[in-house]
Amino acid sequence: MPLPTQLSKVWGYKPVYGTETEAKNISYSSGARPVISGGNIYAYQNYIFQMEPGTGIHVIDNSTPSAAVRIGFITVNGCSQISIKDGKIYTNSYDDLVVLNFSNLNNIEETSRLKGVFTEYRYASPIAQPPATGYYECPAFNKFVTGWTRDSVEQYCYKN
Amino acid sequence: MKKLYFFIYAVVFIALVSCEKSSDSSASLTNATGVGGSLAKFTISGNYLYAVSSHYLYTVNISNPSNPVRTNQTQLNFDMETIYPYKNSLFVGSRTGLYVYSLEDPAVPKLIGEAKHGRSCDPVIANDSVSYSTLKGSTFCGPATSGLYVYEVKNLNLPQLKTTIPINEPIGLGMSDSALYVCCASEGLRVFSIKNAYAPVERKLITGNNYIDVIAYNNILICWSSEGIVLFDITNRLLPVFIKKIAS
Repeated sequence: MPLPTQLSKVWGYKPVYGTETEAKNISYSSGARPVISGGNIYAYQNYIFQMEPGTGIHVIDNSTPSAAVRIGFITVNGCSQISIKDGKIYTNSYDDLVVLNFSNLNNIEETSRLKGVFTEYRYASPIAQPPATGYYECPAFNKFVTGWTRDSVEQYCYKN
Repeated sequence: MKKLYFFIYAVVFIALVSCEKSSDSSASLTNATGVGGSLAKFTISGNYLYAVSSHYLYTVNISNPSNPVRTNQTQLNFDMETIYPYKNSLFVGSRTGLYVYSLEDPAVPKLIGEAKHGRSCDPVIANDSVSYSTLKGSTFCGPATSGLYVYEVKNLNLPQLKTTIPINEPIGLGMSDSALYVCCASEGLRVFSIKNAYAPVERKLITGNNYIDVIAYNNILICWSSEGIVLFDITNRLLPVFIKKIAS
């Protein structure tokens, strides 16, 4: 019996790549978006924020707690963390620090971006992992993952 | 190895700030800085943003938000999980213990104290005299006993372990005045009286959701659960009253 020359393929996740510009584009959409894999929470004024690691930030209006409601979602690919001061959201997009002005929710502006500051987040950003357990195609280190799609993949990378 | 990324969240070390953080918690809505949970890896203190990744502590001057400037990046050999600011210090929870950094020079945090524990997962909160952290001694986090660890931190250079309370699978925690809230995953949310700071007494167990982390914010307890954000009224700190679940 000859040894197999390569691992057999299995059904798993394959990364979807974007250009750096696409991957790092910040945008806001109003309305609730389902929480897929809820992350850290943060309270600021009458808002509650919850990270959707890898893809963005859920915004909850908590002006009246008994009627608290999800009102929108800020797309920030590669994000995982949040902190807020003086109306500015500090978050990460891959290894960049991104500062967002959210004084007007419908016009979320990128105030500034400090590229590559969080050296270790580059390959540790949540989007470097698919949304569910199992085998996945290892992402290329020099590309920006913007999502995942189901496909036939080799058994090199595995998410617990 | 970032497969462990999310499990590492389980290692939250919380140093509880009865003044600073609960003044955050009980502060007015015009408070300039918001409040994070105990599992956070970002925190703002003064004009600086502090962030941890597994092996680095990053310091960024944000006095001008249009032009943030990194002032320091320190490499460390322990796996840092969480960061908690208190007055002039940063409490960093790691897989191997509690570390205290002085912010005497806020641009360059300096390690001044540490309390090592068995390899485990842990977040922290703290105040003037006491720090609480949870350790999760399960699969990914090593052999330390799971539970609530109470440290005396009157001397920041030498945190002293005062007591441990065994709890299965504790994760994030938060405090407000004389109450300590400990998330215990599927077991629920445990409410402790900390009138005696070094001897927490469990008063209530709230079940029904898989609790991960909490923020005590004014009179509202904001809980991150797997099922959604759960809000409680904590006007009576030791008797949370359910308000609403914002389903995921």
